[in-house]
Amino acid sequence: MSEIQNLTIPEIATITEIKDEIVDVRTFYLSFDARTGGEAPKIKSGQFVMCTVFGAGEFAVSLPACPENDRFHLTVRRVGKVTNALHALSAGDKIGIRGPFGNGFPFEEIKGKNIIYVAGGIGLIPLRSSIMHVMRNKDEFGRILLFLGARTPQELMYQYNLEEWKAAPGFETYITIDNPVPDWDGETGFVHTLIKKKNIPVKDTVAFVCGPPMMFNAVIKELTEMGIGEENIISTLERHMKCGIGKCQHCAIGRTLVCTDGPVYTYRQIKTLGEQI
Amino acid sequence: MYLIKKSSVLDIARELQKEYRVYGPVVEKETRQTMFTGVEDAAELDLNAPIPAMPPKHIVFPHFERIMSYTYDRAAKKADIRPDFDDSRKALFGIRSCDLTGIICLDRFFLGQEFVDEVYRNHRKNMFIVANTCTVPFKQCFCVCTDSGPSAREGFDLNLTDLGDQYLVEAGSEKGKKLAEKMGLAKADDSLAKRKEAIIDASVSKFDAIATDNKAWISRVVNRVTTGLIDEKVWEYIGNQCIECGACSYVCPSCSCFNIVDPQTSEEAADRMRTWDSCSYEGYSRMAGGHNPRKPVEDRRSKRFFCKLSYSQSKKYLRPGCVGCGRCQWVCPGDIGLPNVVTYIRRDIQQ
Amino acid sequence: MNYKSGICTFCGTGCGHLLDVRENRVHGVFPMQNHPVSKGRLCVRGWNVHELLNTNERITTPLIRKNGELVEASYDEAVSFLVENLSKYKKDTSDEIGFLASPRSSNEENYLLMKLARAVFRTNNICLDSDPGHRTTLDVLHAGTGMAGMLGSLEEISKSEFLMVVGIDITKQNPIIGSELHKAARAGATMVTIDTRNTQIAKLSKDFLQIRPGAYRIAMAYLAKVMIDENLHDADFVKRFTAGYEGFAASISSLRESDVEEKTGIPADRLKETARALARARSAMVFFSSGISGFDRDTISYIYNLFLAAGKVGREGCGVNPITGINNLQGSYDMGIAPDLLTGFQPLSDGAVLEKFGKEWGVKLNGAPGSSVYDLMDRLKAMVVVDHDESIIRNVSEISKMEFVAYIGAFRNNFMNYAHVVLPVSTYIESDGTFTNTERRVQLTRKKIEPAKNIIPGWQLYVKIAEKAGVKWSYGSPADVMNEIAKLTPGYASISHDTLSAIGGMKWPNGAARFDIEKSGAKAAFAPTIANFAVPVASQEYPILLMIGESQHYWHQNNLMKKTNLPLREYNATLLLYPQGYVAISPQNAKELNVRDRFPVKITSPYGSMEAMVQVTDKVKPNTAYVAYFVDEMVTKFFMEHKDVLKRGEDSTIPVRIAKV
Ligand SMILES: Cc1cc2nc3c(=O)[nH]c(=O)nc-3n(C[C@H](O)[C@H](O)[C@H](O)COP(=O)(O)OP(=O)(O)OC[C@H]3O[C@@H](n4cnc5c(N)ncnc54)[C@H](O)[C@@H]3O)c2cc1C
Ligand code: SF4
Ligand code: SF4
Ligand code: SF4
Ligand code: FES
Repeated sequence: MSEIQNLTIPEIATITEIKDEIVDVRTFYLSFDARTGGEAPKIKSGQFVMCTVFGAGEFAVSLPACPENDRFHLTVRRVGKVTNALHALSAGDKIGIRGPFGNGFPFEEIKGKNIIYVAGGIGLIPLRSSIMHVMRNKDEFGRILLFLGARTPQELMYQYNLEEWKAAPGFETYITIDNPVPDWDGETGFVHTLIKKKNIPVKDTVAFVCGPPMMFNAVIKELTEMGIGEENIISTLERHMKCGIGKCQHCAIGRTLVCTDGPVYTYRQIKTLGEQI
Repeated sequence: MYLIKKSSVLDIARELQKEYRVYGPVVEKETRQTMFTGVEDAAELDLNAPIPAMPPKHIVFPHFERIMSYTYDRAAKKADIRPDFDDSRKALFGIRSCDLTGIICLDRFFLGQEFVDEVYRNHRKNMFIVANTCTVPFKQCFCVCTDSGPSAREGFDLNLTDLGDQYLVEAGSEKGKKLAEKMGLAKADDSLAKRKEAIIDASVSKFDAIATDNKAWISRVVNRVTTGLIDEKVWEYIGNQCIECGACSYVCPSCSCFNIVDPQTSEEAADRMRTWDSCSYEGYSRMAGGHNPRKPVEDRRSKRFFCKLSYSQSKKYLRPGCVGCGRCQWVCPGDIGLPNVVTYIRRDIQQ
Repeated sequence: MNYKSGICTFCGTGCGHLLDVRENRVHGVFPMQNHPVSKGRLCVRGWNVHELLNTNERITTPLIRKNGELVEASYDEAVSFLVENLSKYKKDTSDEIGFLASPRSSNEENYLLMKLARAVFRTNNICLDSDPGHRTTLDVLHAGTGMAGMLGSLEEISKSEFLMVVGIDITKQNPIIGSELHKAARAGATMVTIDTRNTQIAKLSKDFLQIRPGAYRIAMAYLAKVMIDENLHDADFVKRFTAGYEGFAASISSLRESDVEEKTGIPADRLKETARALARARSAMVFFSSGISGFDRDTISYIYNLFLAAGKVGREGCGVNPITGINNLQGSYDMGIAPDLLTGFQPLSDGAVLEKFGKEWGVKLNGAPGSSVYDLMDRLKAMVVVDHDESIIRNVSEISKMEFVAYIGAFRNNFMNYAHVVLPVSTYIESDGTFTNTERRVQLTRKKIEPAKNIIPGWQLYVKIAEKAGVKWSYGSPADVMNEIAKLTPGYASISHDTLSAIGGMKWPNGAARFDIEKSGAKAAFAPTIANFAVPVASQEYPILLMIGESQHYWHQNNLMKKTNLPLREYNATLLLYPQGYVAISPQNAKELNVRDRFPVKITSPYGSMEAMVQVTDKVKPNTAYVAYFVDEMVTKFFMEHKDVLKRGEDSTIPVRIAKV
């Protein structure tokens, strides 16, 4: 239903269900009031929407849903005014949505390659969609490796998917937490050290990396040292955003705008932007 | 080309008033400051007034405007959104060439990229533009260096040039031509085009030392800014002087950053407001949780000049972002308006 | 013409602006180009003032507390309620009733409130909302020169050869004055900053002397001593125009170079250089913060004496210049908002003055000075508060115990929670009024829009209250009020709304740009100083000196800033990063403590402790730490226990120990 115009004026959506993920993070399932059957707009992995919480404001949020067969949802950590207001809502409440916006992940270009996902903490949110897509279309890709890190077991995102991914044929899933704790018998230590320990493919490989700046830099260092080209490391950038459509310029980085030129960039691009990430 | 007697030039504004709300240069009585503002009485307009303190940008991109309002009745789960776009008919009368170039930049940016900005499009939808040639530059002007004056070449419906006792009126669009015809303006013969050129040449020759150095003045700097080959120290020197007031962005005819906020108007209602914003503010790029990719002030400062002076940014305007109006120099408490910055960068290049 | 000229009323600079007013709303703002102070500039607050003026957080109706709830009432009901309650308390020399005025009210409003307190409710317990830092400055300057205000002039900054900035983060607090200084320095003036923190103005100065907390006094005394020892002081000036020089010279003669170096942390050579440069310059000015974070009396006295000895007072391009943070702080003292003063710094204790006011007001006034509301806090039974800031949080416990509290203001605020009656007033663009900036410039701002929903301006409210209390005041407008002020106040004698209608208004006394030593008539007296050069010392147990102050664009306008978006976003930078407040420490201390930015630490003093995050910054010197205490969120019990220290302003320091949590 592309005729629905939501560039500037949000369309109204209903929260159908709310799920607690980890501390301060919740997932909100949505249906779209003006579309037949509440069906969601078509999305690409890696895109985002602008979400209005009435009376509070608007913020940018990734789309973790699988583009093909998932319920439309947002996973949000509360950090400030608007995200706190969203967390105060319950199922049945209305919110506003503009978008989806942004470029999305380049699946066409990476067909046939090995894929490595590296996510730290809630960095998994923007990667989930991509992982779900790849899981459905495994045959199009080579080896698929998942490296997920969190500070503690309680801070592992999407617990319900982890089992699925661990079990998914062809998926090599590694999960680590920063420091050992009782009742955790999995890997410990930072994600980038874990990568080093595992035998990862380097040739014909694309890595998706997402997480806090410190982790991001450490992982990039590791991957490039192992020989993965900068153009084969893909990430999504986060910037202060207001409009989502390339006009307010809050999200400017170098000569690009994250909302329209991004949020997905290769590490090579990021480096040439000449700004901090 | 047409002619109109000097004493009747405001008749054009009066004619426009029949269909448009007319905005133009008015000298505020108390402060003797030129403001570009809406008038009821065309006689208030003053084509000879000094360059307006504020570019007419605020007419197409207001300082503070509501773009929608909404109510949300949480108990009834009923949300109601009402867009509030301003598409009223507006005429800009007597806009200077630099400021018109600013609007052209805004047009290319707001209307010409991947998405069209609806709010801006509505402001621009029904607009008539009468430009005015600067036969004498003002003291801070350097439009000759930025290829944006002293006379407009595009973007107007009518362009006025003061010939002494009368104004040369050039039509730049069908709309403009129609109006001239409707008013029965006398046709001007072609020799006057030459006269206009002479007047512009005379005007150009009056630009003070800084500006006569012509395009080289800015273009070498443009090269440097684009390639980023400027010593960090220069930006630091500039950044140290910035008090983060935001004025440079606010008064710039081509600066277009905005903020969006939803102030509540009652328990259940709020307005969505768009307000001017500036890349010089620290909070502009700061993200929730405190991470700020542009924390040091010099990082932010260099961004504005990058935006005004680099080729890569010119792509969005198809010209340099700076239109040579000199206003940022006027209002800057840190004394680091664009002309000074250009001077510092040139000094660095020379060393 | 929809642009209406006026002045920005955020801070004490008093910049000129034009407001874009259409359909009874403010749509934008633009600086006034030929304003004598701001000359076409505004700061981040001034450029976004429309956000404040459009806020929905206004008080929209009078309110009376019934059964614990504030309920809507008419002005008539609310004013009656107020008068009835206030009338219950003892009159004259009573400790039961007090008025807390606002440094943000217009002169006319403050004058009427003062008159209301003294003439109608018969109390002299009236004082200002913020700490009396500026009063200390005025006392020193008034005693010395007879002028209770800035001795120099902002307009003459460009004529000054030497600029000294002492303990004020001026580009954040009064940015446009900071700009004026910066421009003067660029044009060739020598600028020296003495501060505990490496501020922006310090970076823009030729020399920056980073001083240990609490040692400003010593640095000033030493500068004077160097000048005198090297015979660089202006002996001729001192002889012709001043009195009391010998006493001053004697009081500093005992200072020893090594002691000064140790206590100030500044090499004596650099201080000597500064003293010489100051003495040699033909003209010089000093700027320091006056207000909530002002200096103590002794420090101000030394600053003043230094400049007097240098002959840099009362001449062109010279002056001792206190900078007020809030827009009408100076005007509030001019209007006699103090327990012991009437307008224009005329003492209540002066029989002739009392007589003059009594006659004009038609009452017999009580000449015994009252007390500051803050001193009476635990004894007061009733209090009237106008437009208060958040420093209320420091006195919540006393205020909630009071029998009757009235709040008067335009914007919603914490104080409403403790008020029994709330009376809304209009904002400064909804009524005519005058404000006096930090350089004694009285400026008129005209009414530009109709107040919302029949809200009345402050001056009308005070007339109503007087009337309910049985006194008929016959002012028809704020201009009438100003006429009465002019009649009773020598410095304001030639001021009226007519004479103020020109851009930039007029400075008191009677248009004088600055204090003029030639015309002053009397000799300028050196301020008495005590040769006490002790500094707060850190001990082994409490090795770090904690400084307490304010930061960022914020500067007192808490209640107002919170009603804006952009200025709030800018000022909130620190608060967002450090939601529970922060303590700034040097990289060296951070290393010793093994903490990084935003790590939690525990601060312990002999009286208590608190936890906060650290901000690691080279702006503070090793072994000093800095805390901003002004915001509700940041004021913890810890600070309440140090209330007395806080009163000392910018120089307040607490020896503490900091440990990683
Ligand atoms: C492309 C993209 C995808 C994102 N996806 C997610 C996600 O899936 N889940 C999630 O929890 N968060 C996500 N974020 C971050 C999220 O947008 C911010 O946490 C959110 O804007 C904070 O808003 P606030 O009002 O609660 O915070 P405040 O601190 O009150 O911020 C005020 C305003 O500043 C802007 N702002 C502040 N921080 C950010 C930021 N980091 N990014 C963008 N705008 C910001 C917003 O306009 C916000 O409304 C994403 C950000 C981007 C840019
Ligand atoms: S950068 Fe400065 S001089 Fe150039 S157009 Fe903008 S305001 Fe004018
Ligand atoms: S006008 Fe000057 S001081 Fe203000 S933000 Fe721009 S560069 Fe900085
Ligand atoms: S310096 Fe003060 S008076 Fe001037 S614009 Fe800023 S807040 Fe307003
Ligand atoms: S969010 Fe507005 S330009 Fe990117």
